[in-house]
Amino acid sequence: MSTTVETLVHPVALPRLRVRWGRWGLHATLAALSLLTLFPLFWMLRTAFTPHAEVFRATLAPFPANPTLANFPQAFALFPVADWFVNSIVVAVSCAAGKLIVAAPAAFAFARGRFPGRDAGFALVVGTMTVPYVITLIPTYMGVVRAGLYDTHLAVILPTVAHCGFACFFLRQAFRQLPAELFEAAAIDGAGPWRQFARIALPNVRAALAALFVLGFLSAWNLYLWPLLVLETPENKTLSIGLKLFATTGEQGGQWGPLMATAILGVAPVLILFLLAQKQIVSAFVTSGVR
Amino acid sequence: MRAGAVRGSHLAWWLMAAPAVLLCIVFIWLPMLATLGLSVVDVNVLRGTAVWRGAAHYVETLANPDFHLALFNTAIYLAVLLPLQILVPLALAYALMHVAGRAVAAYRGALFLPAVLSFPIAAVAWLWMFHPVMGVLNAILSAFGGIPQRWLNDPSMAIYAICVVAFWKCFGLNLPIFAAALANVPEELRQAAALDGAGPLRRALHIDLPLISPALFFAGVTTLLLVLDEIVGAVDVLTEGGPFKTSTNLLYFMYERAFRHFQFGEAAAVATLILLLVALATWMQFRVFERRVHYG
Repeated sequence: MSTTVETLVHPVALPRLRVRWGRWGLHATLAALSLLTLFPLFWMLRTAFTPHAEVFRATLAPFPANPTLANFPQAFALFPVADWFVNSIVVAVSCAAGKLIVAAPAAFAFARGRFPGRDAGFALVVGTMTVPYVITLIPTYMGVVRAGLYDTHLAVILPTVAHCGFACFFLRQAFRQLPAELFEAAAIDGAGPWRQFARIALPNVRAALAALFVLGFLSAWNLYLWPLLVLETPENKTLSIGLKLFATTGEQGGQWGPLMATAILGVAPVLILFLLAQKQIVSAFVTSGVR
Repeated sequence: MRAGAVRGSHLAWWLMAAPAVLLCIVFIWLPMLATLGLSVVDVNVLRGTAVWRGAAHYVETLANPDFHLALFNTAIYLAVLLPLQILVPLALAYALMHVAGRAVAAYRGALFLPAVLSFPIAAVAWLWMFHPVMGVLNAILSAFGGIPQRWLNDPSMAIYAICVVAFWKCFGLNLPIFAAALANVPEELRQAAALDGAGPLRRALHIDLPLISPALFFAGVTTLLLVLDEIVGAVDVLTEGGPFKTSTNLLYFMYERAFRHFQFGEAAAVATLILLLVALATWMQFRVFERRVHYG
């Protein structure tokens, strides 16, 4: 009896030895591929701590002979890297917070409100998820120049916050999963929409808000083409586009160590977030599709 | 009194929804219409006048050899990345399903990590590895007796080098998606097939594959968007579309027409063509594949 159950659970009962070898082989392959995936980041880290003279020797030594921290101050001296870092933080936090501030009340209205124009408004907001931002680039650029916002961080933040369709959609789902009785009871006690939103709805969707904030931060931190178009002064750039300036103008001098040191500053916040909340980030990425 | 209260709460609801709706209209829907408009007129920004051009921008674009190259390159990016982005994460998801232990979390983390980085950072890391003289890739090649390559400076290789970078940065994204889909395949189906004498390969092909096809198709659409859009961050940092425009794509072509040559009309026409391609892919997702793709 027990053998039939056994064969049902493990229908392909390979000889034990083969299974064990196969499993070790699988582990070895996965470990090798994981290391291969990490290699570009490892090499970036290695180069960032390698002295200038040593960078020019194309060796395969995994660690520099004379590790140094000099590349970091050197990077800050060559380009306004500190400004880039601060700008990136300011822009990413503003975009993530702005998206939540705009999307949360709207999502609550779409989830619980009964008012004329609700469905049309929801369609207008969620419909933007299907619009590739490429189609908005040129007029938005012209508008930004006209409004005198060119070369300001607001020019990056405002259009990014406007892409709040997914946040609205995601939060509406979260609000709808809360029991309706909660809100009905509050309404009987005389609580209007704003109070229901602030007192009941928001505290109950903290996890969704946190996931959206992290997602918004990451996507804004990684923005490339739009900041490239609207930020011109070197001091106003974000890290992503500063790196491009560094890579294309610093290359002649072969400033690879400082360039990699700067890149590490771009990886660090993302890496810290990832290590702190890997599960949440992965599941947020999966539900949001791409970014 | 009652009607007034209802109207009062209408106002509150409207105020809650208004910022999101207005931002979407001002920064997405109106610019979209403006792009469609720009593609059929010539705008003089200084005088504030617009002259009707009809299909002229489209005709010029379609006759531009650089546009042909960008279109052709976009097709290459897609042809290289589409199979890679689906087959490799699928194989990895399968492998991860068959191992257990603490190491699994580490594998998952390591394989997913590049997906959270930005394209310019990925590009800068690889720019250094691709360096023809000091890069680690040529050092490895030489160590194994190979011939050092010019990588990004080689017109016949640059586009494939960018594909490698894009693949490295994006394959991890599909891994949890495929893993979740595979975990959702009922174990009884696999066991039933095994009892009927189906080996591991046949079970994978005839049970798993049809049941996870929505996830595969989703990955396909994501890859199309990657090739049409995000990859531009890697192209700009690694090659600026070169050498000899051999690594441009449609968006990079649009970017150059608009912001290097200030041909906003033509650029708007290209943007409209990109929009049509994306719309076509979305339409295919809903129409053609809805029937074939199995939703279990």
